[in-house]
Amino acid sequence: MSYKQYIPLVVTVGQVAIFPYYIIWLKGVSLTFSLFAWFFAAFSFSAAWGYQMYQSKKDKNNIHISFIYIGMGIVYIITGFIKTTFENLPYIVLLLQIILGVLQGYFRAWHSGQKAYYLQVVHHYLIVGFMMIGLSFVKVISPAVFIAVFGFLLCGCGFLSLVKKTS
Amino acid sequence: MQKIKDLFKKTWFLGCLVIIFATSVLWNIPIEKRKYGLSESSLVTDYTGLLPERVVRVVKAADRQELQKIAKQANESGQRISVAGLQHSQGGHTYYKDGVVLDMRTYNRILEINELQKTVRVEAGATWEDVQDAILPYGLALKVTQSQSIFTIGGSLSVNGHGRDIRFGPMAGTVKEMTLLTPTGEIKRLTSRGDSEEWMKYVLGGYGLFGVILDVTLELTDNDIYTIHTEKLKTEEYESYFNNLMKDDNAAMHYARVSVAPSSFLDEMYVIDYNHTGKQDRSTSLKGEQGVRLSKLALDLGRHGGGMEDLFWRAQKKYIASIDKKEITRNNAMRSESTFMEFTKPGRVEVLQEYFVPVHSYEEYIKDLKKLLSADDKNDDFKVHNITVRYAAKDNLTSLNYAKEDMLGLVVLIQHGLKEKEIAEATAIIRDWTDLTLKYDGTYYLPYYRYQTKEQFKASYPDWEKFRTEKLKRDSNEVFQNLFYDHYIK
Repeated sequence: MSYKQYIPLVVTVGQVAIFPYYIIWLKGVSLTFSLFAWFFAAFSFSAAWGYQMYQSKKDKNNIHISFIYIGMGIVYIITGFIKTTFENLPYIVLLLQIILGVLQGYFRAWHSGQKAYYLQVVHHYLIVGFMMIGLSFVKVISPAVFIAVFGFLLCGCGFLSLVKKTS
Repeated sequence: MQKIKDLFKKTWFLGCLVIIFATSVLWNIPIEKRKYGLSESSLVTDYTGLLPERVVRVVKAADRQELQKIAKQANESGQRISVAGLQHSQGGHTYYKDGVVLDMRTYNRILEINELQKTVRVEAGATWEDVQDAILPYGLALKVTQSQSIFTIGGSLSVNGHGRDIRFGPMAGTVKEMTLLTPTGEIKRLTSRGDSEEWMKYVLGGYGLFGVILDVTLELTDNDIYTIHTEKLKTEEYESYFNNLMKDDNAAMHYARVSVAPSSFLDEMYVIDYNHTGKQDRSTSLKGEQGVRLSKLALDLGRHGGGMEDLFWRAQKKYIASIDKKEITRNNAMRSESTFMEFTKPGRVEVLQEYFVPVHSYEEYIKDLKKLLSADDKNDDFKVHNITVRYAAKDNLTSLNYAKEDMLGLVVLIQHGLKEKEIAEATAIIRDWTDLTLKYDGTYYLPYYRYQTKEQFKASYPDWEKFRTEKLKRDSNEVFQNLFYDHYIK
């Protein structure tokens, strides 16, 4: 399998594995359950928008997917580096949810059109299952640490695909 | 149906959906409230949270017999009692280490409204808002209350609060009758005219140290309609403006704001007057919190200091100019918004301080104050966000009185850090400010956090020894205690 097949796998596995940590973090910054739910709604609406953005694109071969990875990575890094709760945090979180939603929707639309999509889906479910069992034995340092690490991983994937594509 | 399906396939439509939804979420993100309050399982704090302490028991006040029993038992056993309402007093006035706290918020019934005599009898745990709700249909309004209606009656009377009214004197003067639970567990009915034992003198403005106010009968006035008059002034013009205002019988209420923005620091002011129209109101409902989000956003910008604070001051001036000539009922003028002031930033605190200076000293005082404070506190830890000026008429009714003559009170909103060094720096500035105030025969208000020294307290409240003597005479076992008493008076 080439980098073109590995990177989407890393992204999809990582997203699912990091999700529980992200939920814990999001719960911590939500002031009420309503707000927590609204953050998810914002993410979903944005993902639909991102998905549609890709689908309506005429030239589907000319996609800078590397920048989508880097964008998602930056969101996770920001999330991981927000040290503590402060008054304006919900406003920032809402913006992050929208950006993440758009990027994820866009990525999902692109991914589902790839040749290796079927194989990657099967593999990603299996890998996630084993990973989550493994992670359950790890004492949580802080959700933010895992989220930030994943952010850096995504940025790495983005740069790698950018370099490979250029070369 | 097909049209809707088609619509959801449009990128622009989904984009609009996200923008509309995000905007509505932005508008509805709740404003976080400070976490403080009474708790038996963890530490008790008041609104500022600077003095956490453990208490043994919190008793929700239900009936006077139970409260009487608690007081009698405490008097025999040596247990300490503190009285708490909404705990907006910020210097540990509402609790004491290992003491029992009487949570009066549940003792909040409106007992009687006498339309003819214009009075209301109300239990002490009711808020001013509860009273306003009850008296509004009768076309009545309070004579004196704070500018916000969120506090409990008992709490406000215990600090002898003051507000925007310039005609009715101190809040203590509007109490016609009172039922008091004394430290020995006796229930006394007191009247303002027949109070030969001077209980009221010590209970009003007595910070909960002379017993529990159970209920009070308050004097009311008509729910007049006022026109608002606003004007921008130079600080040096204010004294004469205010003196003229006091001579104008048409003026009922008044307050002012002084600029703390760097470009006009303590130079500019604006005044807001409420003038009689001769009309009264029975139908206008009580206003809720309006424009909270915008006000909070503006205040948050101002909190950054520097250019942002200039921007905030300009925004305030624009808003004030926009309400000029508008009409408002007395009840609504007495219930300003408060939620927008919420501030929750780890490692920092916002506190209030209030300084009183004689009206005739105002101009010189502000000139000297300008030398003491930094005009642009953007890079300072100690930041002054707001100064409101209100009138406090001479008070002969209470023992720890802050207005020995007609005073102007400067209510100051301050922010500082919580590290030892930052607290020490804030304390030093506030003490210097207090010294300056004392130099002008002024004083400072006691419901706030106690930055001041005991010497400054003694100089501000020369009757404090008499207050202590009376406390020990009426409460010889020192049943009613709080951290304020411990710090300043004991």
